[in-house]
Amino acid sequence: MATTLRLYLTCIRNTLEAAMCLQNFPCQEVERHNKPEVELKTSSELLLNPILICRNESEKCLIETSINSLRISLKVKQTDELENILTKKFLRFLSMRAEAFQVLRRKPVQGYDISFLITNYHCEDMQKQKLIDFIVQFMEDIDKEISELKMSVNTRGRLVATEFLKQFI
Amino acid sequence: MTAIAVHQFAHCITCHAWSPDHSMVAFCPNNNEVHIYKSLQDNWERVHVLQKHDQLISGIDWSVRSNRIVTASHDRNSYVWNLEGSEWVPTLVILRLNRAALCVQWSPKENKFAVGSGAKTVCICYYEQENNWWVSKLIRKRHDSSVTNVAWHPNNLLLATTSTDGKCRIFSTFIKGVDTKDSKAGTFSDSKFGELIVQLDLSFSWAFGVKWSASGNTLAYAGHNSMIYFVDEVGPSPLAQSVAFRDLPLRDILFVSERMVIGVGFDCHPMAFAADERGIWSFVRFLGEKKTASGSKYGSQFSEAFGKLYGQPRQGVGNDSVESSRLRGCVHENCINCIVPLKEPGGRGSTIKRFSTSGLDGKVVIWDLEGQDDLSQYL
Repeated sequence: MATTLRLYLTCIRNTLEAAMCLQNFPCQEVERHNKPEVELKTSSELLLNPILICRNESEKCLIETSINSLRISLKVKQTDELENILTKKFLRFLSMRAEAFQVLRRKPVQGYDISFLITNYHCEDMQKQKLIDFIVQFMEDIDKEISELKMSVNTRGRLVATEFLKQFI
Repeated sequence: MTAIAVHQFAHCITCHAWSPDHSMVAFCPNNNEVHIYKSLQDNWERVHVLQKHDQLISGIDWSVRSNRIVTASHDRNSYVWNLEGSEWVPTLVILRLNRAALCVQWSPKENKFAVGSGAKTVCICYYEQENNWWVSKLIRKRHDSSVTNVAWHPNNLLLATTSTDGKCRIFSTFIKGVDTKDSKAGTFSDSKFGELIVQLDLSFSWAFGVKWSASGNTLAYAGHNSMIYFVDEVGPSPLAQSVAFRDLPLRDILFVSERMVIGVGFDCHPMAFAADERGIWSFVRFLGEKKTASGSKYGSQFSEAFGKLYGQPRQGVGNDSVESSRLRGCVHENCINCIVPLKEPGGRGSTIKRFSTSGLDGKVVIWDLEGQDDLSQYL
């Protein structure tokens, strides 16, 4: 289990390493604009082929690259309804505080749970290696966080049930 | 190490250029200004700040003979700066662009300059005496995407461009009244302005950093798919070579001699490419590596690969190539996006021993190829 996760993350890390070759690039279509091309998609020649890395059906990572921006979308493992709710709530909590994370996108791309948007400005201000580390660390932690949350919900559920059922003894 | 001087000028540098005597450097600190620093004994002092643009400056070129600076900016304008007394005085260039200007270069005779733009056009600008401004002639409808770089052929007539549509094109830029027809320009002297001479369609991805060799016989440009392309005998039947390398793509290149090219880019290390006796180009090695890692790059790679094949790493460290490349001592810490030759004043030789690089880490690094035994054979 742990080794497949390691391989998945290494694959994402290497892909990001190659994909994060961004540069300042002003918009070709609109005068005096400079916007992430991966979001606008105005000129197809400025986009590279998107890469989809899947660990299994429920866990995948989509990396879309353009000349001045890069979008990483993650789908987090959700095996049951409880995990589904927890993931949704937790990632919504993070997305609402997107500006604190700088590279977090406010809304995930359709079909994914959370998205990051990295532009050339982030690459100018931050070290590329640290940015990649952040993304990979985030992916590592999110699974851990969700399973911990699930465990504490279950524990609490059991506790509450025991307390409730005590009165019938 | 071949880096002889490292200067941290700003947080981030988009482009830089040297004064004719190399005592001053002009660069853009990733905003709408040009800063000019002068070297005083050991330290550098800011002597001028050129403020006229209102968006990021994407290109600077300092002419050697006429001591003029031309700047191009994302605000669609370009200015020619003349030193009058102790002040730099800007002259507006009528570019007639409606998108950002991305690159600029003086022609070898310095009577024209070329501006590549996001409007998929190239402007060839020349001075008009009667109006006292620089006017431009446009090469329109030839590019399918933004023009990322321009390079002048030494004959002052041919201009090579690279574009994000992945093509490299060569145009004639003959302007009546500015250029004179002479036999020196060879077969291209009778072509009209804006005539497309060759279109090279070698790259599958965006093309950057086009350059001519000093003689004008060889043209090289880089593709975003980690390839570098060399073209000989530019004309109706060009001879092209593509060289793929293992590392991240290049942003800009420089011919240091007819047989050696230095490429800089996202990998943070300048790379040396050289042609052997038969004219076959190949990757030689990185510049600025620690001495322990020097020597033939290929040799070590091969022995490493053989070691893996035989199940025993011959070289103790470096089983993960990505890891080892990250740990090599880097001079630049971020993408290098500009490489400029430092020609010795007065020296008419075609080889360049010194050059400078600048990058997103805000450093200007001067490199010297002197004393590099394995590289000197190509100079």
